[in-house]
Amino acid sequence: MLETSIAVENLSYQYGRFKAVDDISFTVASGEILGFLGPNGSGKTTTLKMLTGQLIPQQGRVLILGHDVTKATALVRSRIGVSFEQTNLYEQMSALENLALFADLFNVKNFDGYGLLKRVGLTGREKDKVSGYSKGMKQRLMIARSIVNSPSVIFMDEPTAGLDPVSSETIGNIILEEQARGATIFLTTHDMWEADKLCQRVAFINQGKLVALDSPHNLKQRFGKRKLVAEIAKPAGGLEKREIEMDSAATASSMEALFSQEKIITLHSAEATLEEIFIQITGQRLRQ
Amino acid sequence: MNLRIIRALLKKDVKLFLNNRFYLLITILGIVFYVGAYMVLPAKQNETLRMALYAPQLPAAFLQVFGHQGFEVERFQNRDALKQAVAERAHQVGIALPEDISSVWAAGQKPQIDIFHTAGTPPEMIAAVTRLVEELSFIQTGQVLAFSIQPEILGPDMLGDQIPLRDRLRPLLVVFILLVEIMTLASLISIEIEQGTVRALLITPLRMPGLFAAKGILGAGLAFLQGVLFMLLVGGFNQSPLIVLTTLFLCSLFVVGAAFLLASLSRDVNAVTGWGLLVLIILAVPGFGAAIPGLLPAWIKIVPSYYLTDTLNRVINYAQGWQDIWLNLLIIAVLAVVLIWGGMLALRRRYQ
Repeated sequence: MLETSIAVENLSYQYGRFKAVDDISFTVASGEILGFLGPNGSGKTTTLKMLTGQLIPQQGRVLILGHDVTKATALVRSRIGVSFEQTNLYEQMSALENLALFADLFNVKNFDGYGLLKRVGLTGREKDKVSGYSKGMKQRLMIARSIVNSPSVIFMDEPTAGLDPVSSETIGNIILEEQARGATIFLTTHDMWEADKLCQRVAFINQGKLVALDSPHNLKQRFGKRKLVAEIAKPAGGLEKREIEMDSAATASSMEALFSQEKIITLHSAEATLEEIFIQITGQRLRQ
Repeated sequence: MNLRIIRALLKKDVKLFLNNRFYLLITILGIVFYVGAYMVLPAKQNETLRMALYAPQLPAAFLQVFGHQGFEVERFQNRDALKQAVAERAHQVGIALPEDISSVWAAGQKPQIDIFHTAGTPPEMIAAVTRLVEELSFIQTGQVLAFSIQPEILGPDMLGDQIPLRDRLRPLLVVFILLVEIMTLASLISIEIEQGTVRALLITPLRMPGLFAAKGILGAGLAFLQGVLFMLLVGGFNQSPLIVLTTLFLCSLFVVGAAFLLASLSRDVNAVTGWGLLVLIILAVPGFGAAIPGLLPAWIKIVPSYYLTDTLNRVINYAQGWQDIWLNLLIIAVLAVVLIWGGMLALRRRYQ
């Protein structure tokens, strides 16, 4: 049986009369990567703040590694790592100095700054001031900082937002490496492709409520529609794209018509994306 | 509170301070400028007594003495001209003899001699002039106190002018150096909030008290070291060094509290600069009272920094001791504690 690293019970928080998080509950198993998806203002960041002890829940509780975040804050914080959405590094210090500071705060023995920076692809720039780094480099340094204490649970808030593909891939690899090390990862993201690729399960949050929580595969099975996508040659020249639903009453006749009457150029099966499923469940897009 | 964590934060803050060329530059330039200003000011007060005299009939004894070295006497044709000259500080003291002085003495009566002085005329100089008039009257008449004297102050009352200007400026300069640290520390705190680095710090095992302790030690340390350095360079420890050190230390704590409050009330670094300058100007004002006694009204005591400059002024310029300034030190200590406490509460809200 898998151990639980994160347990959230009936968590609520409201700013004035606005309910940012409305009675959500879920658990994350040790070594699991959970994607926490939702549009802007859906309650992702408020949830993340309560999970990391930055905000005290008005209702409910959060257990990290079995400890109540509000009661054993120092203990919990010594075993977690947090990567923020907004860059918050000491820009007038070097990457090495930034990491060394946090290694000191976490009392890391035998801290290997160079090794950590190598993992995030910052070799050769270790002693440069962070103010001279690109956005991608800063984000990679933020990731390195979040794992400086080899945390058991890592919270990542939009780690790849607005990054180039190389930086995104580097960060994706780090996430998988940390999971392989045994860390549990709580990942908030807008990027459905990233969530699909990295996460064992994804949670959809909308207007403060948890509206779905399952593996991407199961969500696609449950909410998505299987279909065939064909590219056919038009008589007048050019290509036409045609989609045929696999599970409808008209599937057989549509298939027959396709094969008998059209000149098929390509044909492949397709499944719904997480984005489409999110729209189906919530009625709105992730990016607005 | 974890000392290892505080040491790590201090190391970081010192690094940031040293990496910020602006702070470093104004700190070094500040010390150089203030020490330079102290050095170029005259080290000695001019001992020549500039005196205005209105005397329609000048007794022989007066005439003889006023011709000697050490006196610079200018005679005036009427009282009003003499009073104007003294009020404009063209002369430190004015003596007006009555027109009928000889006949009054001859009648065995006491003539009234008026002594006019500026507000900045030191009391010892007034006493010396009074004594001089007594001596001259005795020489002239052979009688003790053969006159009645009527002193009159022209302009605001300013005591302690005998001390060289640069020494009178020392309390103002050193307090100003320390007060500038309010802006430096508040800026460092504000930048941490603005750039979100404080959020990153506070999701580590670091707790708020540790954060405040580190900031407090940095701010107090920077202020105290600069104050001590300045006082060393300008001879500020010649009198009661322990009291001076205590005052500088309490002043440094005051700086920390004021910086915490300033940072909590300011939205960003620009606001720190704007509010900081206003605070700096207000807090610097009492220092002018030490430099020019009598210049400021009594209500200036409501400005907290009054007790800092007043204490340093009384200790280093008037050689006063613990028994004279203990109340001032107590007031500074209480103010520092209140400011630090209030500042921490306000900052805690900002951090959260």
